Amino acid sequence: MSDDYLTESELNAEDMNEYVSVRIGNQLFGAPVLEIREVFTPQSVTSVPMAPAEVAGLLNLRGRIVTAIDARRRLGLPPRDAGDKGMALGVERGSEIFGLIVDSVGEVLRRPSAELEPVPAHVDPNWRSMVKGVHRLDKELLAVLDVSAVLGLADTAKAA
Amino acid sequence: MDDLISEFLTETGESLEVIDSELVRFEKNPEDRAILDNIFRLLHTVKGTCGFLGLPRLEAVAHAGETLLGKFRDGDLTVTPPMVTLVLHAIDQIKVILEVIEETSGEPEGDDGELIKRLEDASMGRSPEGAEAAGKSKPAADVEAPVAEVPVDVPGDATADDLPEGFDADLGRDLRPGEVSLADLEAAFNDTPAEVEAPADESSEAATASDAPKLGIGDFDPILGRELRPGEVSAAELEAAFGSAEAEVDVENTGADLDVITADMTTEEALQIAVAELSGGDDSGAEAASGGVKVSKTVRVAVEVLETLMTTVSELVLTRNQLMQAARAAEDEELKGPLQRLSAVTGELQDGVMKTRMQPIGDAWRKLPRIIRDASHDLDKKIELEMEGSETELDRQVLELIKDPLTHMIRNSADHGLETPEIREAAGKDPKGTIKLKAYHEGGHIIIAISDDGAGLNTKRIGEKALEKGLTTHEELAQMTDGQIHRYIFAAGFSTAAKVTNLSGRGVGMDVVRTNIEQIGGIIDVSSSAGKGSTFTIKIPLTLAIVSALIVGCEDQRFAIPQLSVRELVRVGAGSEHAVESLNGSRIMRLRDQLMPLIDLHEALGIGEAKFQTADDTGFVIVLDAGGRNVGLVVDNVLDTEEIVVKPLSDSLRGASAYSGATILGDGSVLMILDPNGLAGDIVSAMEEDNEADRAHRRAAETNDTQRLLLVRAGGDSVKAVPLALVTRLEEFEVKNIEVTNGQHVVQYRGRLMPIIPLGTKIGANEGGRQPVLVFAEERTAMGLAVDDIVDVVEERVDLQMSSNNPGVIGSAVIKGDATDVMDIGWHLDQIQSGGVQRAAQAKRRNVLLVDADAFARRMIAPLLVAAGYDVTPTGGLHEVRAIADAGDNFDALVGDPAALEKIQSEGLWADVPTLAVTDWPDGNQSDNLTEIVPKSDRGALIAALDRVSQDEEEAA
Repeated sequence: MSDDYLTESELNAEDMNEYVSVRIGNQLFGAPVLEIREVFTPQSVTSVPMAPAEVAGLLNLRGRIVTAIDARRRLGLPPRDAGDKGMALGVERGSEIFGLIVDSVGEVLRRPSAELEPVPAHVDPNWRSMVKGVHRLDKELLAVLDVSAVLGLADTAKAA
Repeated sequence: MDDLISEFLTETGESLEVIDSELVRFEKNPEDRAILDNIFRLLHTVKGTCGFLGLPRLEAVAHAGETLLGKFRDGDLTVTPPMVTLVLHAIDQIKVILEVIEETSGEPEGDDGELIKRLEDASMGRSPEGAEAAGKSKPAADVEAPVAEVPVDVPGDATADDLPEGFDADLGRDLRPGEVSLADLEAAFNDTPAEVEAPADESSEAATASDAPKLGIGDFDPILGRELRPGEVSAAELEAAFGSAEAEVDVENTGADLDVITADMTTEEALQIAVAELSGGDDSGAEAASGGVKVSKTVRVAVEVLETLMTTVSELVLTRNQLMQAARAAEDEELKGPLQRLSAVTGELQDGVMKTRMQPIGDAWRKLPRIIRDASHDLDKKIELEMEGSETELDRQVLELIKDPLTHMIRNSADHGLETPEIREAAGKDPKGTIKLKAYHEGGHIIIAISDDGAGLNTKRIGEKALEKGLTTHEELAQMTDGQIHRYIFAAGFSTAAKVTNLSGRGVGMDVVRTNIEQIGGIIDVSSSAGKGSTFTIKIPLTLAIVSALIVGCEDQRFAIPQLSVRELVRVGAGSEHAVESLNGSRIMRLRDQLMPLIDLHEALGIGEAKFQTADDTGFVIVLDAGGRNVGLVVDNVLDTEEIVVKPLSDSLRGASAYSGATILGDGSVLMILDPNGLAGDIVSAMEEDNEADRAHRRAAETNDTQRLLLVRAGGDSVKAVPLALVTRLEEFEVKNIEVTNGQHVVQYRGRLMPIIPLGTKIGANEGGRQPVLVFAEERTAMGLAVDDIVDVVEERVDLQMSSNNPGVIGSAVIKGDATDVMDIGWHLDQIQSGGVQRAAQAKRRNVLLVDADAFARRMIAPLLVAAGYDVTPTGGLHEVRAIADAGDNFDALVGDPAALEKIQSEGLWADVPTLAVTDWPDGNQSDNLTEIVPKSDRGALIAALDRVSQDEEEAA
């Protein structure tokens, strides 16, 4: 995004959180860099009838099957325009790879971890369960994603 | 060092598993020295390696166990279950320590003094004989130190320095010092007692070991065992008692003394023989012991490496497929050749890698003997475990997944299946119960059967429990077959065990087993008969990795269906003989006289309108095997078959029951793999009940021996039945060819004249001038029965409802819903032969007892004998035979399976009655006890032989 984020982030490497900034709907989100294996363009996604709504389908990522999860559907946002494939964040969980489909991916942001603020209480509980906290940027808020929660994995872990 | 330890852990783990099961075997056969030697060797190796790696605690336990085993081996102690239990405790303790080592790379703190004490007590204290022997062997082994203290005194470093020095000359450096040298020497001593004893005598004179001259081979072994331990090797160089062993080494090095050289040479020869024997003989036993020899044949590879290899190969296969597709489209001749080679090589590679994944199922069974042994002690039952087909191979992944269910089921059988010895005896059974484990390949599956000869499932209690759990209602229950009720044991949370034992009965039993097995695409079933035991059958796929699949299209999507579950494909619609019908909205198709429910993939997956709403719709119906039933799946089209690599679904998709996995096709696209059981789940469970009744009915019919009957029309409109087994051929003759000679109709048939008699009709009555004739051929004669019309062949249970006074008719039976006369062919044939053939003149029909366990063979032979004029009593097994013998029935001859006949003779039943064995392999069944042996295929020879022997019998009488 803009340069002043970067200058600020040079200060103290240890106390910095690095985020891949992504946009889902109008909101800017940050996914912790360490959790993201790669960023790719989802191609030829095979839809899976009868699957939970948030599963966008399966795709082939260099010989491995990736389960694509649509972040918009998880967050309860309206679907993207037809033809807009969006971008995918590859996340490895155990032996599986998931692709979290977002609208667009921006640059990597570094924010001091001390600046992470809790999610305001009046935010929709569904969102709150998937957002770990908020960083205040100059122009907007950066909502830090709980990647496991967005993939729906935290739920299953709890249920099991 | 870390590598060493991890290798040690794997190797020791395997050794311990073998020891576990070998000990259990040994307990049963205390006389079997081979087993004991094997255990001893394995444990010794463990101990030796511990010393080498500096694991004193482990070594001490192993040593104490070994000492006790040594006593068994020397015959100083007799083997008793408590003793074996004690050794097993030691093994368990070793396992516990090993686990900690695996986690921390170091031995845990702790003291095994108590266990070691008990082991020592056992090896010395309990039997005076044992104590004496121990005392005797002590000075020989190590004069200053008592046996148990040795390992503590030993400095770990000594091993590395001393062992190679001492054994280099003997064995060479390649071999691991501890294990092989012991095995070889031991075997050498065992094989060449004289030679070994001679040098022992000589050297002991010089060494002044007072008791050495008395050393027999048996006494000798424990010394050698100890000798290999670090401290004692150095001691051996000093100790006089070790003169014998040292003399050998010395002599070999110097080669001075002629006498000893010859002795030594023989020992070396013996060594070679012993090594050859070890490596060639009992694999499991020799594996560890002769590790040095075997090493060249096997390599230990980490499982991850294999898994990676598998993934890589899978991707290679996919890439090849892609390439092939591209090449096909391009039609480039230049590429064709190399591509074909690439394809072939890839295929081979794939096969090879698949093979590395295969493991004998015995690996999963290795723990079972121990489990059964412990269970039999805990439960106070006598249990025998029989294992068959342990070499059957299956995918490692599958193997891992069935390990636990198998263990669980074996425990269940021991706990709930088998009764206590008292109850068994009261029921007239062997007090020792048997659990049988069997594995074999069938198609692309492996079948594992676990059967016990216990009490069988308690149908009543299962039924009550099912009611209690609300799984069924009284009305439903009343209509269920036993088999259906038994299947409730697979329902969740279902346990009928009245008392919870520490083995099983906690209510998470068979349903967990079933879930586990179904997860890998397997099926489990149970059959049980009260008082006789139950059998659980598991059918699982050989491998989960690569399957052949049918690719089908539905709307604009493609899906894969595993070929294994596809029974057939049917094209439906315009121009096809099959049509889809509907019954109250449910679609059904007629398939060979059976109604098959249809599932429309469009509807099932919610991806479009169902097909066959209108009559002129076309499409494909895939007949699927869903839980053993036929279910039709309607799809738009069938595209291809392809070898696919099955990839598991992520957790997010586990809930969708329609799929069993996903795959990547040659073109790189991802496809869902359909799960027939999941798709057809509801329909199948509904069908289950119907079919169960059906099957029960069929089973009942089978047990009542169905007969194949030929229905003919002869003399009138009514249909008559003739047992088909009697008819040699059906022929049609031109009426004009049928001549009359000597008042009888004959026809020229195969160069002979064949007499024909009408079966209640006039010959030549048919229009068209052709006469259907049933031909009965026997030896070299043939006879014909003329009928008007051949109607049908049916397979029915013949239940003669009315016997008849009418000669030529045995009686009436209901066949296909009509009362039908069953013809007495024997009588008709007699009509032809009357006067001519001796048999017809026989005043009395002779009795023959037919013994053959094979129902089919019985059915083949019995009518043949009946037709030849014998009264046949068919029996299936020895118990039936005994019952008949008890009833005092007499026979003129015994006919049947050679083995069964010999058994009858050995029991002294019908001692002077001639026996006639019928077999497929008459050459391989020579026996002095049997009167005659004839091949099964030669009906004529059988009758001739039977006539002969029963004739002899008559004359003799």
